[in-house]
Amino acid sequence: MRKIQRLSAGALMLLASTLACSPAWAQSITIAIGSEPSTLDPQLRDDGGERQVNDNIYETLMARTPTGELVPDLAAQPPKQIDATTWQFKLRDGVKFHNGEPFNADAVVASVSRVIDPANNSEQMAYFGTIKAAEKVDDLTVNLMTTGPDPILPSRMYWMKMIAPGYAKDGDLAGAPVGTGPYKFDSWNRGTDLKLVANADYWGGEPEIDDVTYRFVTEPGTRLSGLLSGEFDVITNLLPEFTTNVPKFAAVPGLETSVFVLGTDNEVTKDPKVREALNLAIDRKAMVEGLFMGYATIAKGSHINPAAFGFNEKLEHYPYDIEKARALIKEAGAEGKPLVVVGESGRWLKDREQIEAVAGYWAETGLNVTTDIQEFSQYLDSLMGDGPRPDAIFIANSNELLDADREMSFIYHKDGAAASNSDAEMATMIEAARVETDTAKRKAFYDDIQKKGHDLNYTVPLFNLQDIYGMSERMEWQPRVDAKLMVSEMKVTE
Amino acid sequence: MLEFILRRLFQGVLVVFGVTATVFVVTRLVGDPVALMLPLSSTEAQRAAFAQQIGLDQPIATQFLRFVGDIATLDFGNSLWQRRPAIEVVFERLPNTLLLIAVGLGAAVMLSIPMGAVSALRPGGLVDRLTMSVGLLGLAMPQFWLGLVAIMIFAVTLRWLPTSGMGTAAHLVLPALTLALTPLARFTMMVRASMIDELNKPYVKTARAKGLGLTRILRVHTLRNILVPFLSISGWELIATLSGYTVVVETVLAWPGLGLTAVQAIQRGDLFLMQAIVFVIAFLIVLIGIVLDILSKAVDPRMELN
Repeated sequence: MRKIQRLSAGALMLLASTLACSPAWAQSITIAIGSEPSTLDPQLRDDGGERQVNDNIYETLMARTPTGELVPDLAAQPPKQIDATTWQFKLRDGVKFHNGEPFNADAVVASVSRVIDPANNSEQMAYFGTIKAAEKVDDLTVNLMTTGPDPILPSRMYWMKMIAPGYAKDGDLAGAPVGTGPYKFDSWNRGTDLKLVANADYWGGEPEIDDVTYRFVTEPGTRLSGLLSGEFDVITNLLPEFTTNVPKFAAVPGLETSVFVLGTDNEVTKDPKVREALNLAIDRKAMVEGLFMGYATIAKGSHINPAAFGFNEKLEHYPYDIEKARALIKEAGAEGKPLVVVGESGRWLKDREQIEAVAGYWAETGLNVTTDIQEFSQYLDSLMGDGPRPDAIFIANSNELLDADREMSFIYHKDGAAASNSDAEMATMIEAARVETDTAKRKAFYDDIQKKGHDLNYTVPLFNLQDIYGMSERMEWQPRVDAKLMVSEMKVTE
Repeated sequence: MLEFILRRLFQGVLVVFGVTATVFVVTRLVGDPVALMLPLSSTEAQRAAFAQQIGLDQPIATQFLRFVGDIATLDFGNSLWQRRPAIEVVFERLPNTLLLIAVGLGAAVMLSIPMGAVSALRPGGLVDRLTMSVGLLGLAMPQFWLGLVAIMIFAVTLRWLPTSGMGTAAHLVLPALTLALTPLARFTMMVRASMIDELNKPYVKTARAKGLGLTRILRVHTLRNILVPFLSISGWELIATLSGYTVVVETVLAWPGLGLTAVQAIQRGDLFLMQAIVFVIAFLIVLIGIVLDILSKAVDPRMELN
């Protein structure tokens, strides 16, 4: 009996010492993404695959919480506005890049100067066009100067990744990135996968997951199979109809809003009654259920993202009233008149389905509706080219800056790349909002602009689309409103 | 023979030039690369600067002359997507595709000859009916579907093989299998039909009457006679695989070859990468055609060029 006791005690001690000596469980995960980064240079391209990887390697002065609130990140506190065109950032102390270079004012100046240097022809200039220069005040203080008043500057700095000045000169930013973030670059097998490992010296504490491998899988069906076979832990863009097949999934309101932009100067759609009828004729609730299995919400009267600054929460979505729509078309004398609906196919989730369903609803009003599904390049020409504006054109509009100015300028402003109106008053309101630095006043401007757009039916907003991710049984993760795949926010349970 | 080879090479050069011109025209017809490559919110000035950067502001004739000159030095410009020389991307992915084709088509050739021969020996028998059924299935099933079914069975349900990607030998099995089935079916049917035809010819009957064993007849006479049609059908199958099947198989199974890269280049409107891929594939097809013709001529000297 004593022998057994001794043996058990020994076995227990052995087990305890093994557990005490062994390192924490090494946790590795694999994420399947739809496209391979074209480069890992975080400043030159505007590329989804690059961002999905680099968001974990690089950091920015400002960040967002998973729900979209703008908070300081590499900045120690929110920036202060010194005058109409100067913003001052105090930087977090003691942060180092993965190669040992310190993060300081010089790094911010180098990062800003590189992005805005015309010689680099950065595709991200669409986000940073208003920035004139950056100037070091002291080691941990930087002033950013803008070309005019720019209230969105703090949001812009949520987009701009900070690079190490020394490494940017001599290193390989495109192939082996070096940032300050929770994960470090490890390897990249072009065409197949890319691996990051945890940064043990991360200023925010070492992340829980030790390494992450990104697999590039274009086909949604293949991503789903990989998840089902246990190869992948997270897959992006899970189709709504597959949510019941996967071990786990998570859906979150995303950045995209689907909308039709109406040609307010076109023969039929110039009549506000016709435009109102087009908004009333669509049973959006039926489409949410039928097309998106509930993983979309009806857009509330405008195409601005509800998580964006400037969203008018007071507006209600257009009701479904086919009888009134028919009556309005009749009143406008538009019965039997042609209406061409332009769109594309395969670029955005259920784009063709949305276009065809809406065209079907519109045909019921008495208009003579035809759809024109174009090849993507031709579609872009229709959307932004110099030719005549389409009667109605479909866009899945996204807003990475989460500020209403982006969508206003793009779709509502008469000179916007995708705008179909010639409303000078609307344009003046948008321009005034763009340079208004008083937050409350700016919000009031945006509320008014959206109200006007809503009342005049300039657009036909459809849905705020959700991002759906498939996950393995062991993953715990709540996706973010900005679609960033932050591995440091993920957990593995085993 | 030398004249034959020279004439065939000359024809090849003409075809490659024709393809070059077609690629140039088509890639300029399909759409505006500037609109495709820049973000939706880019300004007119940014678009103009980009067009100038990639030379699209030049007259079309100047663009073509430059295009032909660049191709002569294998300079297809920088891939808009990868921002490095397009030909570098092609040469990086081409070996993956060639490996896949070598294994897939190699397996199809190796299996089809015994399968076809055995079927031909007893037409209508059990083995023949089984082979024909598999063959018909292989011909009838589209490869993307076949790929997905193979993933479902061998990767998801049985978990024997990885679903996608490239790395170990196991990664090669599903794509090679998917790629092999259609050619295997075609080869097997072709071997079977030619063999039945040959076995009914008087020389076989004579040989058998003389007491020659069937194996010897097959090895010495029959197989050699079906070699020319087999070579030619293999060539066609190789060309079909290179120019089409790999696109589907590589996309479904995320095999990082030239087919998948072609799909990605099209999706991203990467004009320069598309040109480089089409040109290299066209060049390889012409080369395969020439090699096959020369081989066929060597096997059967009666062959002439049309």
